[in-house]
Amino acid sequence: MIDVGLGHYLTLGAIIFTIGIVGIFLNRKNIIVILMSIELILLAVNINLVAFSIFLNDLSGQIFTLFILTVAAAEAAIGLAIIVVYYRNSSTIRVEEINSLKG
Amino acid sequence: MEITLLFLPLLASIISGFFGKYIGDRNSEIVTSIFVSISALLSLILFYKVILNSYESNVVIASWINSGALNVNWSIKVDALSSVMLVVVTLVSSLVHIYSIGYMSHDPHKPRFMAYLSLFTFAMLTLVTSDNFLQLFFGWEGVGLCSYFLIGFWFKKDSANAAAIKAFVVNRVGDFGFALGIFLIFYLFGTVNYSEVFQQIPQITDKELLFLGIQVKAIDLICILLFIGAMGKSAQIFLHTWLPDAMEGPTPVSALIHAATMVTAGVFLVVRCSPIFEYSPLTLNIITIVGMTTAFFAATVALVQTDIKKIIAYSTCSQLGYMFFAAGVGAYNVAMFHLFTHAFFKALLFLGSGSVIHSFKDEQDINHMGGIYKKLPYTWVLMIIGTLALTGFPFLSGFYSKDAIIEFAYLKGNTAGYYAAGIGIFTALLTSIYSWRLILKTFHGTYNNKNIKIEEMHESPIIMLIPLILLAIGAIFAGFLFKDLFIGHNGESHFWGNSIKFLNPLSSEHPPLWFVFTTPILVLLSIPLAYYLFVINKDLPNQLAQSNKPLYNFLLNKWYFDELYNFLFIKVSKNIGFFFWKTVDIKIIDKFGPDGVSLLIKSLSLKASKFQSGFIYQYAFMILIGFTALLTFLILH
Amino acid sequence: MIAHSIFFYVFSLIAIISAIMVTVSKNTVHSVFFLILDFISISCLFIMIGAEFLGMIMLIVYVGAVAVLFLFVVMMLNVAQQKNQWFSASESSKHIPVGLIVSAIIFFELIIVIGGWKYKPDMNTAMSLNIDQNITNTHSIGYVLYTDYIHIFQLSGMVLLVAMIGAIVLTFRQRTGVKKQSYFSQISRERSDGVELIEVQKNKGVKLDD
Repeated sequence: MIDVGLGHYLTLGAIIFTIGIVGIFLNRKNIIVILMSIELILLAVNINLVAFSIFLNDLSGQIFTLFILTVAAAEAAIGLAIIVVYYRNSSTIRVEEINSLKG
Repeated sequence: MEITLLFLPLLASIISGFFGKYIGDRNSEIVTSIFVSISALLSLILFYKVILNSYESNVVIASWINSGALNVNWSIKVDALSSVMLVVVTLVSSLVHIYSIGYMSHDPHKPRFMAYLSLFTFAMLTLVTSDNFLQLFFGWEGVGLCSYFLIGFWFKKDSANAAAIKAFVVNRVGDFGFALGIFLIFYLFGTVNYSEVFQQIPQITDKELLFLGIQVKAIDLICILLFIGAMGKSAQIFLHTWLPDAMEGPTPVSALIHAATMVTAGVFLVVRCSPIFEYSPLTLNIITIVGMTTAFFAATVALVQTDIKKIIAYSTCSQLGYMFFAAGVGAYNVAMFHLFTHAFFKALLFLGSGSVIHSFKDEQDINHMGGIYKKLPYTWVLMIIGTLALTGFPFLSGFYSKDAIIEFAYLKGNTAGYYAAGIGIFTALLTSIYSWRLILKTFHGTYNNKNIKIEEMHESPIIMLIPLILLAIGAIFAGFLFKDLFIGHNGESHFWGNSIKFLNPLSSEHPPLWFVFTTPILVLLSIPLAYYLFVINKDLPNQLAQSNKPLYNFLLNKWYFDELYNFLFIKVSKNIGFFFWKTVDIKIIDKFGPDGVSLLIKSLSLKASKFQSGFIYQYAFMILIGFTALLTFLILH
Repeated sequence: MIAHSIFFYVFSLIAIISAIMVTVSKNTVHSVFFLILDFISISCLFIMIGAEFLGMIMLIVYVGAVAVLFLFVVMMLNVAQQKNQWFSASESSKHIPVGLIVSAIIFFELIIVIGGWKYKPDMNTAMSLNIDQNITNTHSIGYVLYTDYIHIFQLSGMVLLVAMIGAIVLTFRQRTGVKKQSYFSQISRERSDGVELIEVQKNKGVKLDD
């Protein structure tokens, strides 16, 4: 336990990943929390990649993390734009009230 | 000629049944009556030919079944036995047709009635002129069907419908045995034609079969099964319950079907199959015992009945018992003779009672009648003639036939014969008592009807009286005229030829003189006895009834047969049917079948539609669950 | 090495707790703040284990841009003022046990996979980019990014471009009732607007209709 190895970092990544997943469907508040949970998931993946890169002396892990960062930012921007437009039309972003896909 | 004889009633039935609306009531009555009367004339001509020339013929109309070993034809076989039956059936039928013109004059459905009567005549003729068991069975079922139609003719009455169904179902029990008998015949002989079967009977006298685990002789089994059919059709004991209830039909129906023709089909069957029955002494004994028991039972019940038609119905049952018992002791020709004479006087009695009922405006209880012999003179005289014939008053027709039966029973010599002869004499006494009871309570004594004034009573129209007169002539003279023909001198007759088989010729002796005179003396003595009981001292029967209440109730409730059957069979089948309907049909079959499937689909689709909630996080949740499952599967694999 | 472990545990504990608080807290603005704290602690972790370029980039991009964007939107949509119940909605509280179980399953599977993972024997030779310990992390990433991975780099630029255009397109709306000047139509003239040729008759004047 004292000696922190690869496994610890990977465990940390798994925990944050799980928390992010839980946040997607267990939140009863609003959509923005979903987006934040997605960011958490991506963060967990980043931790994994960086940990592997450092412990195996391979730089490609960090390169890939850079690109994941890029994509995460882009996706957050678009997601928030969609939420803004949706809010304009329905003036609510509470999760229970967004059910126009109901079949 | 035979073809015309057979098909004229059918033609009359079709015309009246399908076109009765168009040709009018009166015309359909006339058409049916005339056609059936022509058949009656033709049958008389044939009978004459058979007597004089021993005429026999077998006209094949068409081939019915031609399949492998089974070859069955539609044919008209005329020989001594069937010619006698032809005369009886067509004569009584034509007289009943004419009578019905008057009796049913107030009924709105005359064409239908006439059509059913003619159809019945056709079916009965098919039965008696068949040359194979299959056509016999066709006619058998046909008369059962027409009996159902006619008993339930007034179909708006619940009791009539119930009685019709009861008749059909009880008949069906007998028909089941009969059908098994025919199957057995086919199985053993490979054919159902009379001639071939009768030829092969002597070859299998020792054959034994395993039936329901019991080893029986084949001949015995065939005969018992055939006799079960006869029991059903002829209302012998155990299968008799339908006959009294069949009085729900109009009186002409009772006269035709339940006096002269349909119920005699059983006797005809036994006599026709005499070549088979002769080889089975066991069955002959059974027939004797059953016949005698039926005669005794019916006579005791008739003693206390109050409905005029039911008394005559039980009387029929009793006389049929006599006929069977004659067949059982081997005297087939005597049975046919009694059938012949019985047709006349029983039809006379029924039609006469119909006349009385018509005058009393459909009142049938003899306790509400009385003292009208001056108002209905013709009916009174004719009914007395019928009663005298029935009881066996010396020199009338019943005397010759009934006493011949009792004599031959005595001459048989074994214990069954003595027992039967004794019961026969006692039953004749009872017959005489109840018949005179009927006449005296109906026509004599005080007038007891509350609804109609005695001044309004009038005789029946002439169209109803003519058949009665003709039948009375037959009742008086048929016995004397045909005695030698049917029974012959010393118990032998050349009339029957090949149609009846006697394995051992009938005894040609005469019973002792004291025996011969017993019955007529008893019958003669019963007349003043009955007069005393029912006219002079009317309280005596009531006191007898009160002091022997259990016996009286036992007789009044027809020996509790109906209650017994209700308890044994009807309740059980009703419960089984109910169970199968409510539980099996509705709960199980429908539940797993259409109802269940539709409910299942409905509930499943309701549940499935909840997946489409519209909430995205729930969709994401589904994705997650699927992903988890996939991951687990991959890890574990 | 003890300092390494202590710092690792401290940072990871902060990260986990703030991740939980992101989903759990009642106020959405608090959720955003906890997200920012999460990012910061993870980037500290990165710096600690030697990927400092990435840690800094994470701070700049994630915290400085993405989280601030979240905050903008949260403020703009008045989300914080909505009263929200947590776990007490009627139909959805049935999901909680199932959801927790499912996520627990995922977690354990991840652990199993990782725990039972064995290195391939020829791993060392399969690695493509060896980290040179003598140059800085930024230097080494720069060596590789613009040479070996140039295509992916350009593509990520495209992604960002598309995202930007997309965001503008999505939220663009025409405003009604806005008055604008069009200088061009105000100033421009054509010959047909200024000059008109008229045929003049003898002894007759010219009518000037204005």
